[in-house]
Amino acid sequence: MKAKEILGEDAELVLADARYDSINKVVKTSLIKGERKWSASDLLDKVFLNKYVGIPAFFALLWAVFQFTFKVSTPFMAMIDMFFKWLTGYAALIPNDIVASVIGDGIFGGLGFILQFTVPIFFLFFALAILEDSGYLTRVAFVFDRLLFKLGLHGRSFIPMLIGFGCNVPAIMAARSIEGKKDRLITILIAPFMSCAARLPVYVLIAGAFFATNAATAVWSMYLIGIFVAIVFALLLRKTILRGDPAPFIVELPTYKMPTLKGAVLHMWERGVSFLKKAGTYLLVGAIIIWSLSVLPWGVTPGSGESLIGMIGQTIQPVFAPLGFSWQISGSLIFAFMAKEVLVESLGVIYSVSSDVGIQAALVNSITPLSAYALMVFMLLYVPCLATIGVIKKETNSWKWTAFSAVSQCVIAYLGALIVVGVGTLLGL
Amino acid sequence: MTYTVALIGNPNVGKSVIFNNLVPGAHQHVGNWPGKTVEKKEGKFTHKGKQIKLVDLPGTYSLTAAAEDELISRNFIVDEKPNLVVDIVDASNLERNLYLTYLLLELETNILLVLNMTDIAEDKGYKIDVNKLSFQLGIPIISTVATKGTGLKELKDAILTAANSSPQVNSKVYYGEKIEKLINNIIVLLKKDHELSQKYSLRWLAIKLLEKDEQILDIIKKSKNATELLEIIS
Repeated sequence: MKAKEILGEDAELVLADARYDSINKVVKTSLIKGERKWSASDLLDKVFLNKYVGIPAFFALLWAVFQFTFKVSTPFMAMIDMFFKWLTGYAALIPNDIVASVIGDGIFGGLGFILQFTVPIFFLFFALAILEDSGYLTRVAFVFDRLLFKLGLHGRSFIPMLIGFGCNVPAIMAARSIEGKKDRLITILIAPFMSCAARLPVYVLIAGAFFATNAATAVWSMYLIGIFVAIVFALLLRKTILRGDPAPFIVELPTYKMPTLKGAVLHMWERGVSFLKKAGTYLLVGAIIIWSLSVLPWGVTPGSGESLIGMIGQTIQPVFAPLGFSWQISGSLIFAFMAKEVLVESLGVIYSVSSDVGIQAALVNSITPLSAYALMVFMLLYVPCLATIGVIKKETNSWKWTAFSAVSQCVIAYLGALIVVGVGTLLGL
Repeated sequence: MTYTVALIGNPNVGKSVIFNNLVPGAHQHVGNWPGKTVEKKEGKFTHKGKQIKLVDLPGTYSLTAAAEDELISRNFIVDEKPNLVVDIVDASNLERNLYLTYLLLELETNILLVLNMTDIAEDKGYKIDVNKLSFQLGIPIISTVATKGTGLKELKDAILTAANSSPQVNSKVYYGEKIEKLINNIIVLLKKDHELSQKYSLRWLAIKLLEKDEQILDIIKKSKNATELLEIIS
């Protein structure tokens, strides 16, 4: 007698089914399910886990998060801006011109400029901490699983994607929790499209300059585009080089908890401070390097086309001409390969050494709003930072996949920005 | 003598709360399971003059060989043969929680079932007939609300009583005529190996063999009748 003839291919499943049948019989006779008292948690789930409302509800909440982030950050950003303007005024008093410029334009203009954009990062982390501590974020993974599974993707992929809103590096590491090799690889390849906190300064700068009252909505749209591109890219991989079926996803949903102010502040501080540390180290070095490139060779007008950075920018600019990017932006995009916030820093240095007009005003003069939105999309989809590439190499243990990841992101970023410009032009924007 | 009692249950059923209540913090010993990164908590307490050593097993949904924490729990029960396994279940989620209970019943170990979180079950409108459930499963049951301290005194008494009695072997899943016949055929072959019959519940071994459980396959490969047994599941 052969087991296979009786139990089929998956004996474990057949036996487990038999156990559940017995359990159901026992429970049926000893448990009476009476009138249920609706708890607040159940009522919330009626909405947040609803088949149709669940995903729109998530996007609506996310929109509220950015409204909050913007509204609350604005006064703090203005304060930091005023503080560094005041400091720059003092830097101008330094008798040595070179020292005055490196401190005033390089450090205060570049690093000081980016510091004001760390404020929204803190408030974004605060808002996300509240969503996480309340138990809502786990439900988002659940809600997206329904959609993703239908599309042939693993629901668990969404948890690393949610982590990616903070930083892509831990998001890629979190893909370890995914069992299937292909499911895991897909997750690693799509995680960089999730808009991390370091991209926020870029959005805030550009959206603030170009889209004034709709700035928060413009930033919110980046997160949506990120999720959309991630899903489409995953589908594409699933249908071509990484074929297969996803494993079912089981997640335990804890009851909602009232988040505490202390918990949320601690969360915000922990994650926000790591960003400040970055600012204190390599962003400082970056500011000095970019300043040097913008004033060398000696004698040229600082931050002009004749400076080293001008030459780099002008060489690369033709590539970005279809997108309408100026040479200042094209040059800054090269440095932004290291990390996205470097774009803000680089633009800060270039514009502050070359003129006294505000950086945002200078930006508005150099490109159209359509190109500005294309730039945001480009920054969203472009390689997040060197650290991400490093962690992809470590996690996939393959240079081939690492190169594939980096190249595909550059190509998708360019195509994405091109589509924005193309569609926008067609619409007459 | 000291009774060895293991605590087991799904994640999030209040197992830690019960452990901390039975064994005050100062008497707890926290370390790792030998050679593993999984935390091991144990401690002793005395009740009615009897000493009880309580071992906290990792919180799991199942007892397969594929997951490290599940294997730790399973091996502890099979190898150390505790006097009692206290299975803590979430009363508001009976169907899912009883799966682990059924796996324990299959192991033919001595079980005390703790229906915890009965307050949440009541809020959900559940009425559980504890006597009926106990009769059907063939094991003693205690109801608790650990977070409020309800039923913990009774739990201590019940642990002592249950640890002193021998396992009940009257309740099992009936897998249907064909599968049962298959299980019995395997048991006949297993019986010829005395070492196996002494250490394991043969019915459990047979079921695990049908599931092609990695650890059990290794054991079977070294036993008498290995070729015939492996032939059945090939």
